[in-house]
Amino acid sequence: MTEFLLSRRNLLVSACCLAAVPVLTPVTFAAMPGENRFVTIVLRGAMDGMDLVQPYGDPAFKALRPGLALTPDTGLHDLDGFFGLNPAAGDLLPLWKARELSFVHAVSTPYRDERSHFDGQDMLESGGGHVSDEKTGWLNRALAVMPRSDDRRAIDINTSLELILSGPNDSDVWSPRSDFSMGLDELQFLKRLYANDPAFAKAMEEAVRTDMAADILRGGAKNGGSGTADIARLAGGMLREKYRIASFSINGWDTHVGQKNQFAQAVKELALAINTLKDTLGPELWKTTIVVAMTEFGRTARENGTGGTDHGTGGCALLAGGAIDGGKVLGKWPGLADDKLLDGRDLSPVGDVRELAAAMLFRQFGVSPDDLTAKIFPGLSFDRSSPYLRA
Amino acid sequence: MSLSVQTMAAIRFGYGIRPGENPVSHKDDLLARVSAGARAVPAFPREGLSERWLAVPQLQADLADNRKDAKAGAPDPDQRKRVQQKAERTLRQDAGARIIQAAISPNGFHERLASFWVDHFSVLARKSFPTRLLTPLYEAEVIRPLLGGKFADLLTAAILHPAMLIYLDQSRSVGPGSPGGAKRKAGLNENLAREMLELHTLGAGSGYSQSDVRSAAMVLTGITVNNDTMRMEFRRPIAEPGRFTVLGTVYGSDKRTLDDALHLLADLSARPETVHYICRKLVTHFIADEPPEAVMKPMRETWMATGGDLTAVYAAMLDQPRAWTDEGQKIKLPFDYVVSGLRALNAVDPGTLQIIDTEEEEADAPPPAAPKLAAATPDMAGAGMAMAPPNGSMAPAAGTMTPTDGPAGSAPPKPPAQMKPNAGTAPPAPKKQNFARALTSQALVRMGQPVWQPPSPAGFEEGFSVWVTPSQLAERINWARQAARRLAGDEDPRDFLKAVLADAAREDTIRIVGQAPNRLHAITMVLASPEFNRR
Repeated sequence: MTEFLLSRRNLLVSACCLAAVPVLTPVTFAAMPGENRFVTIVLRGAMDGMDLVQPYGDPAFKALRPGLALTPDTGLHDLDGFFGLNPAAGDLLPLWKARELSFVHAVSTPYRDERSHFDGQDMLESGGGHVSDEKTGWLNRALAVMPRSDDRRAIDINTSLELILSGPNDSDVWSPRSDFSMGLDELQFLKRLYANDPAFAKAMEEAVRTDMAADILRGGAKNGGSGTADIARLAGGMLREKYRIASFSINGWDTHVGQKNQFAQAVKELALAINTLKDTLGPELWKTTIVVAMTEFGRTARENGTGGTDHGTGGCALLAGGAIDGGKVLGKWPGLADDKLLDGRDLSPVGDVRELAAAMLFRQFGVSPDDLTAKIFPGLSFDRSSPYLRA
Repeated sequence: MSLSVQTMAAIRFGYGIRPGENPVSHKDDLLARVSAGARAVPAFPREGLSERWLAVPQLQADLADNRKDAKAGAPDPDQRKRVQQKAERTLRQDAGARIIQAAISPNGFHERLASFWVDHFSVLARKSFPTRLLTPLYEAEVIRPLLGGKFADLLTAAILHPAMLIYLDQSRSVGPGSPGGAKRKAGLNENLAREMLELHTLGAGSGYSQSDVRSAAMVLTGITVNNDTMRMEFRRPIAEPGRFTVLGTVYGSDKRTLDDALHLLADLSARPETVHYICRKLVTHFIADEPPEAVMKPMRETWMATGGDLTAVYAAMLDQPRAWTDEGQKIKLPFDYVVSGLRALNAVDPGTLQIIDTEEEEADAPPPAAPKLAAATPDMAGAGMAMAPPNGSMAPAAGTMTPTDGPAGSAPPKPPAQMKPNAGTAPPAPKKQNFARALTSQALVRMGQPVWQPPSPAGFEEGFSVWVTPSQLAERINWARQAARRLAGDEDPRDFLKAVLADAAREDTIRIVGQAPNRLHAITMVLASPEFNRR
């Protein structure tokens, strides 16, 4: 992989200074045991990376997505002259400007062709090279090889343990009382579920038209607060205590229909989660923190006939935290010309999102490349030259 | 096209498919479940029948003591509150046990019939404090054992049970011309007599008159509830002396006995109006809101030929081809929805009759120290978080999470199936209990069908349009989501769908569930699907 910075602003800098950037080593970490924090956010439902970080500089982009593509003139927040940030993610701009936010484009797990959410999420969380290769979560396996003290604990913010942290090693599950809100994409699925049953379809339609839809979206929670904020606050609070690793999920990304509105809603939740984490951790701890948000696969390069996008391959990951050197869009942009698309439909994945995760485990906890490529992400190629170590 | 016998038996005549349970594959299997269920000891009253029969007079004595103190000028409102709270807690626990009982029982057809008959002979558990204890007893000792026998026996036992006598005010009814009536200036209460004719036997509009109601009420006088033992008793001094004509038959004499009422009940149970009304109600309940005559007719004939042998009547229903076709026209009532959801998720541990909490099922640890946690992260307190440690995580975390006064690392045993009467004084981990209640009793309150609390003596409505409403659907979706999140574990949604919808699954449901954006939502949609709501 000949990956690196795409951003024009950084291209020159990175090209000349690559060798000069110090590579963080386990030794560095040993000197500050147990201080670093790592948060994974699983974006369930296949987040459309090209909607979040839009390649408006790619000449093919507008034609592929006539209804979704924006430019800085139509509200897109320009990032680097080639990519721009979806306006709904505006709350993330301060992080970008503070170089505490980066994106990694055109990445995916090794999962190909089938495009099932369940299998795709299993691959993302288990870290294996094929479906069902691994039965435990990569973050759980990582716990076994980290130089740990009792002070370093992992936590899953959910009502039950998610695959990413499941396995033989200790991790705790904590739940906020308020439930996760239901994504607009999930609501859309419910409408489809009832579409051919007139009595149920009518009841659903009325429920959605009235404030009962809000009830459904809130999971019946009494308060009107966002579940996501509570979850992120809980995660941040626990990371201030004994915990060093936290994981949670944000749903709402399966935007087959009416993507503009649904996607904006989900992006706001993501921005809220990250900003809440930062606020809860406080400036000192935020400096030691890296957040990785990733999804099972991307979505089709082309907009579909219902203002949405369908299951694709190459996606986008988000990196945030005071411990990164941010303000970059990382990755090797494969281009959107017809002959560059995977199967003529998807953004080509040019990077393995597992490498990003591996690099963060290396940086934050000194997990060795041998462990990373043998135990945690079997089959992954990763070493100390990985550009993500300087991300 | 019809579904397989197994699927129809589970969905139409049971509480749905419970993966791993032996399916019913023949009509005779269903009937065998009726007799097996009649012999089985239900999960309520939690302490058992005889223990409960000790608790009921004790409650009366406690309440009487309190009244005595108040009369003597030393009222003790705290004691009164404690006694009342205990009765309320007992009801709450039994209501939860009723849901669990239905979910865990392999005798699904018996469970469904128990719900049918407990609704037919509706009693309101919250009528009084004693009825909070008596109502579960009523179902356990009257409805369940007798629902497979003669209708006359079921009717008689139901009408004469103290829970019914209190609910429909028979315990206050006094013959106006009886010695007791004259002395106490008390009078006749027609409530039970009216509902007995209108709801329990003949049916509304079947031709009886107000005079029949009043006469029946007269025949019932003398039947009351003993204030100390809380058992039914016949007291001649308050029985109206004389002869009373109900539907052309004369009951009573100058020397009244309980037999007068027993004769009336026996006659009512054999009336053609009764046979017609109840067969119709059974078919409406199990098969279609518009009950097909082709199914009802052989049932009525069987009833007449067997003298009201209910198992024979059920068999006659099951013998009709129409009993096994045209699925999906009925909507599950909330109780049925919740129970079938718990069954689909295999959510109840048969060993403990507790809901299996996937978070805590293996965590043999004391409940979390919420106050300590709140203190550790004060900004979290408002978020109302609760913790749920999975297995294996507690050992290293014990120093943080275990209450300082708790036995760190030691495991309190799970509560046994039959809780001791005072089990409520030592509540298990609060989080677990609340979670279980949220998915059972509380869910039924929100959905509009709280256990043993019918809106009227007529019981709950069961028409399709009554329950397929926007708010009901929203409640069911929320329940499905909570239940899926709590109880589905890492089950593959595609396997789950196959297991619980079987051949009732529609093509579009299979497709949409398979495309769901995440497992949780996929499982949620299986449970929220039209075919999981219909039967």
